[in-house]
Amino acid sequence: MAARVLQQCVRSFARPSLRLCSGNLALRAAAAPVTALHRPLSSVADSRRTRWLDQSRISSVSVLCRHYGDLPPLTLETIKDRVMYVLKLYDKINPEKLQTGSHFMKDLGLDSLDQVEIIMAMEDEFGFEIPDAEAEKLMTPEEIVQYIADKKDVYE
Amino acid sequence: MANPLRAEVVRLYKNLLYLGREYPKGGDYFRDRLRLAFSKNKGVQDPEQIRALIARGEFVARELEALYYLRKYRAMKKRYYEDESSHSLNI
Repeated sequence: MAARVLQQCVRSFARPSLRLCSGNLALRAAAAPVTALHRPLSSVADSRRTRWLDQSRISSVSVLCRHYGDLPPLTLETIKDRVMYVLKLYDKINPEKLQTGSHFMKDLGLDSLDQVEIIMAMEDEFGFEIPDAEAEKLMTPEEIVQYIADKKDVYE
Repeated sequence: MANPLRAEVVRLYKNLLYLGREYPKGGDYFRDRLRLAFSKNKGVQDPEQIRALIARGEFVARELEALYYLRKYRAMKKRYYEDESSHSLNI
């Protein structure tokens, strides 16, 4: 339990740069040329007003593009990273032996109960339930990534 | 693999694992005990015996639920009535 909380903390520290800034940075970059164009044209007296206008424009646009509770979009790459991260934290897997194609039972020496635990960890990580019938077919990290991508409509 | 009761057992394990997360002694403690209990009986082949073991697992799951209800009830009681003596004085 504690390990899971800690892991979430670490992850939320690592992510905010992505989550908070990705939208804003893109907007700033898009807005920057506009300010650069306006500056030379405006007189010194007007500069304060134009700056205020520019600022308000930037802030209103960034308000429109706020992400609310949304996470950064899933891609095959991020899904794979998260799956491998969860698997590395699982105490019975040797992180050095872990490959994307390694079979949980044949290559990593786990049993079916371990596999159930891994699937539950994936459910926690990605926030949706995996039915038992499909869960027992997921035997490699690669298959898990493919399954999650299918369920979350990620095609790339 | 071919055993028709396999899915049943896996479902029971998952259910118990889920319930055990809130166990007073910690989810990890419960998980280790649960794994021991399951691996102790992994050689059982007789369908009747497997069914009996599954029924025992279901019983444990119900006991766990009862335990959580009791814990919840006790916590509420503690919050609303400080202790028995002040309770009897107030009413």
